[in-house]
Amino acid sequence: MITITLNETVTASNDRDAEVLRSRLRAAGCLLVNVMSSAGSGKTTLLSRLIRDLGELRIGVMEADIESDVDARRIEALGARAIQVHTSGMCHMDAGMTAAAIEALDALPAPIPPLLAGEGDRRTSGGGGVVPHSEALAAGVVPHSEAVAAGVVPCDLIFLENVGNLICPAEYDTGAGLNLMLLSVPEGDDKPLKYPLMFQKSDALVITKIDALPFFDFDLTKCIERAHRLNPTIQIFPVSAKTGEGMPALERWLSEQLNDWRPRP
Amino acid sequence: MDYRIIDVKEQVLEENDRIAAETRAALARSGAYLVNLMGSPGAGKTSVLLRLLALLGREYRVGVLEADVDSDVDAAAVAAAGAKVVQLHTGGLCHMDAAMTRQGLDALGAELLDLVILENVGNLVCPAEFDVGADLRMMILSVPEGDDKPLKYPLMFQVSDVMLVNKIDAAPVFDFDFEAAKARALALNPNIAIFPISAKTGEGFEALAAYLRERLASDKHVWGGAHDAPSQPNSQENGPSKASAPTTDRGCGN
Repeated sequence: MITITLNETVTASNDRDAEVLRSRLRAAGCLLVNVMSSAGSGKTTLLSRLIRDLGELRIGVMEADIESDVDARRIEALGARAIQVHTSGMCHMDAGMTAAAIEALDALPAPIPPLLAGEGDRRTSGGGGVVPHSEALAAGVVPHSEAVAAGVVPCDLIFLENVGNLICPAEYDTGAGLNLMLLSVPEGDDKPLKYPLMFQKSDALVITKIDALPFFDFDLTKCIERAHRLNPTIQIFPVSAKTGEGMPALERWLSEQLNDWRPRP
Repeated sequence: MDYRIIDVKEQVLEENDRIAAETRAALARSGAYLVNLMGSPGAGKTSVLLRLLALLGREYRVGVLEADVDSDVDAAAVAAAGAKVVQLHTGGLCHMDAAMTRQGLDALGAELLDLVILENVGNLVCPAEFDVGADLRMMILSVPEGDDKPLKYPLMFQVSDVMLVNKIDAAPVFDFDFEAAKARALALNPNIAIFPISAKTGEGFEALAAYLRERLASDKHVWGGAHDAPSQPNSQENGPSKASAPTTDRGCGN
């Protein structure tokens, strides 16, 4: 009973932190995309492809994992600005952890060609005391309140690769401008029935591994219908990050979203 | 603030462990063997379960607890296979805990069963933290998920007695290195028993069923079992009944 109260308190304060972070990112013209899915749906593979294809943008990636840094290493190898976030057993990212991770990303020394002249200097203004590159940022190292209120972000697009989990991340607003979820073909077309909240909270559903469609009893039409029943405005992109099929439509949509997100001059 | 949250989480886990121990003792008295089946969404928990029911359903009185955030698609499938099944709606919760499992066992009438399989919520993270009172923890990793999962979700592999590598029929389509997955799991847990299976083709299930028969015989000294098999409990009139699990804690207690 104590737990219910406490958890509600946590959620309410999380929602406040998320709003603060979202306004800060919007003012900086930086779009944060929260990428969520089950373990093994292909989040890292999709991000690798997006980083390659959207090369003209300054992209940052935050890899959230309970442990290990295999994903951050893969992303770093592509030359993107990447940090690994260890959640220490936690099954999701919340707004405070996300803000702390953005601050660490901000403080990275890695040179990123600035899109607009003069903006490049800003990245030195990030907070100190955080661990750059593939060394892990332990969740909570940076006090949440400070991180939420911290400075500017030298990225156009930041991807938060959330913990591989189709349930808990849906409950926590990270402060992202866009929530993007993945469902892979091998997981099955019945997943909207079983994990409805994730489909309700997402702006876009990326159906991954469509190159494997011939090998699985996955009904694409049925899956799309089920997702739309839960969330009529969800954008759906069937893709294969392996073959590249379907990627241009997703990338076009992301660019449009970024343009809409940026403050009008 | 942070310390308080951790305190509460520890209390939740302590209370859970207490109830789990009680459940295990009660099951030992009645002679029912509880298997906690865990895995990501879509790893094939229900398909594996249906195969096991077909193999073991004639020898043992089997009951199934289907835990889901929402929906009863799985319970309907299991009931159609003729098993006694209780659907548990966790109301948004991402794992089963000991108290919810206890409720399910009561609703199922576990004291009259030899084997109860709990199909946990599809999640590779949170269910690993909560002891439900099971005698055996069995996790599924499916080939399309990738051989790196032990590196990323170590706790699940550490707490499991059995690892099933499912969908091996799809191995040619995916870059899944079975030996690498096996070595990674064993590095985390040297005692974990590993079975490559395909719930689609049935490959590997004879070995798994033999292992489970052995565990039931050695872990439980029950009056029932393979040889003096009791009356066939599975009948079509056992439709899914429902029990609402208490939601004392949302979002894994963190």
